[in-house]
Amino acid sequence: MANDIKISIKNLYKIFGPTPDVGLEYVKRGMDKNDLLEKQNHVLGLKDINVDMREGEITVIMGLSGSGKSTLIRHLNRLIEPTAGEIRFDGEDVLDYGEEDLRKLRRERMSMVFQKFALLPHRTVLENAGMAMDVRGFKTADFESEARKWLARVGLEGNENQYPHQLSGGMQQRVGIARALVSNAPVMLMDEAFSALDPLIRSDMQDLLLELQEELQKTIVFITHDLDEALKLADHLVILKDGEVVQQGDPQDILLNPNDPYIVDFISDINRARVLRTRSVMTEGVDDSLQFAGDVSDQDNLETVLSRSGGDTSLTFRVMRENEPVGTLDMKALTRALVPTEASSEREKRSA
Amino acid sequence: MATYDFVFSSLGLDDWCSAGKSDGPMSMADLLSKANGGKQEDTSIWDLPFPSMDALNEACPAFPQSRELTKGLEQGFLDIKDSLSVVLDPITQPLSWALDGTLYAMLSAPWWIVIPLLLAVVLVVSKSWKLVTFVAISFFTLAFIDYYEYAMQTLAIIFVCAFICVLLGVPIGIAMSRSDTLQRMTIPILDMLQTLPPFVYLIPLIFLFSVTESKLYGIAIILYAIVPVIRLTNLGIRLVDKDVIEAADAFGMTPRQKLFKVQIPLALPNIMAGVNQTIMMSLAMVVIASLVSAPGLGVLVLRGIRNLELGVGLVSGLGIVALAVILDRVTKASLARINAAQKQ
Repeated sequence: MANDIKISIKNLYKIFGPTPDVGLEYVKRGMDKNDLLEKQNHVLGLKDINVDMREGEITVIMGLSGSGKSTLIRHLNRLIEPTAGEIRFDGEDVLDYGEEDLRKLRRERMSMVFQKFALLPHRTVLENAGMAMDVRGFKTADFESEARKWLARVGLEGNENQYPHQLSGGMQQRVGIARALVSNAPVMLMDEAFSALDPLIRSDMQDLLLELQEELQKTIVFITHDLDEALKLADHLVILKDGEVVQQGDPQDILLNPNDPYIVDFISDINRARVLRTRSVMTEGVDDSLQFAGDVSDQDNLETVLSRSGGDTSLTFRVMRENEPVGTLDMKALTRALVPTEASSEREKRSA
Repeated sequence: MATYDFVFSSLGLDDWCSAGKSDGPMSMADLLSKANGGKQEDTSIWDLPFPSMDALNEACPAFPQSRELTKGLEQGFLDIKDSLSVVLDPITQPLSWALDGTLYAMLSAPWWIVIPLLLAVVLVVSKSWKLVTFVAISFFTLAFIDYYEYAMQTLAIIFVCAFICVLLGVPIGIAMSRSDTLQRMTIPILDMLQTLPPFVYLIPLIFLFSVTESKLYGIAIILYAIVPVIRLTNLGIRLVDKDVIEAADAFGMTPRQKLFKVQIPLALPNIMAGVNQTIMMSLAMVVIASLVSAPGLGVLVLRGIRNLELGVGLVSGLGIVALAVILDRVTKASLARINAAQKQ
């Protein structure tokens, strides 16, 4: 958790319309999205976004369509220009970049994977994978071994000389990922990269991404509208609604302490036992006088513990992190954690 | 007294009108009314003439007649013609050279070189032996009935003109696709070029250039045939998948890389469709251009019309059809190959 901040977004606003600056003033004075559209004919894209993305982590930005998540990710490499705010990349403000610096950023420090793959239909898989190198001026021969290596890594050995239209959707997206990896950029932007794939393949691709991430430790910004996907991948979860950040933080934390009814709605349907991990529900400290039914890892999900306990709620487990005991897990606490929580705002209302 | 006298009198222009009065030639209507004793017939509202130039001229002789408009236009054109020629002549001179050179080359080379060469081109472009056979049969038939020379002249003109159309049209189309303002400005011109009856191009061109120069018909053909390749290049580039363009931007392509690595390759099917149309339209125009001394099958068609030689007209017409089918099939075959290579 002590990783450096790679990308930092500060007070970012985006307003679409003929005179965004005017719209910005209204928004800063408190006009909401609907009023802005009706009275000023401007669309509020993003409102006061503050997100820090840490090096080597997967930051997932989740929201429904129209929440501004795709707009947000396009600000990172300035495919869309913000109306106001700051985007810091390794401490430098990306908005100060001129054309040449910006191109360098896009070529060498950021790569992107797209929802609709966006491969070049007239180039082979190999040439597509090497697109980033080709853009930098390398010849096919220079990057061929690198491209072959990553294509093999994403499971496309032997498809190098085919054309994208000869591949299935899942395979095309593998090419998209290989293309991002060949560029060797430290930051990978993934815009609903798996949303166009069917569920089984999507799950495969998520596993592939996690596997690659284990190995490469890139800084990944992942956009999705699917909560299960978000919870599976996220180290840091940002939930957007109508262009605003509703809540952000550790996904486990958001699950246990949702601060908005909107998020409660969102998380009401998921399988909490599979998503929650023991570290989130354990009590810290180990009392050695207790009788433990066994040891569990702090990364285990509750489902694993439930199946080990055989449904017996009187048991207590010892939670281990890298072979060190760190906490105690009471089965009763575990069972309580499976009941969806109310939003903190609602709870405050009730107690008041 | 004419119907619209009141217009000028109410504006106080009577003096100006009478100053313009002259005893020039009378119109037939004036003569008739004079013969009737100059009596004014009562005009009912049904006979109210439209206040056109001629009607107003009747009320006020100083007002110009409509024939003076067309005359003025002609005079204006004649006045600028010389200075225009000074500019246009050197610019268009290479066109004459290209046309004359190609015509000379294709006609002076023996048939046993030209025909196999053309067949080889067809094979390379279309990769289809069926098409090569068809083209061979067409050429040998045309040659057998002694139309070889005319057909080659027509082909030579089309090659040169279509090549220049592509050379100029594709960059214009690309420029249009990059600027909405330019597109807004260019489209009316393209519309005009496409709808103006082809004969109309010929009139100002005859004034500007000598009929003995081959660039005269070259320009007429190019003006007429360049439109589709411009339009479809513009359209093709604008239709390139936005996602792919975004990917190109996200990977840091320069505008030039984007153009040559993404936009043109992906627009190629549309551009080739434009080239096909351009070639077909050059063929249509090369027949009409025979009115201004373009050689080729068109001359025979013209002879057929002028001398009512039905047989000559029909056979040369069919020869043009054969050339049209050949050119169309060959370009379409290459288009189909491009499409097959990059379907999505």
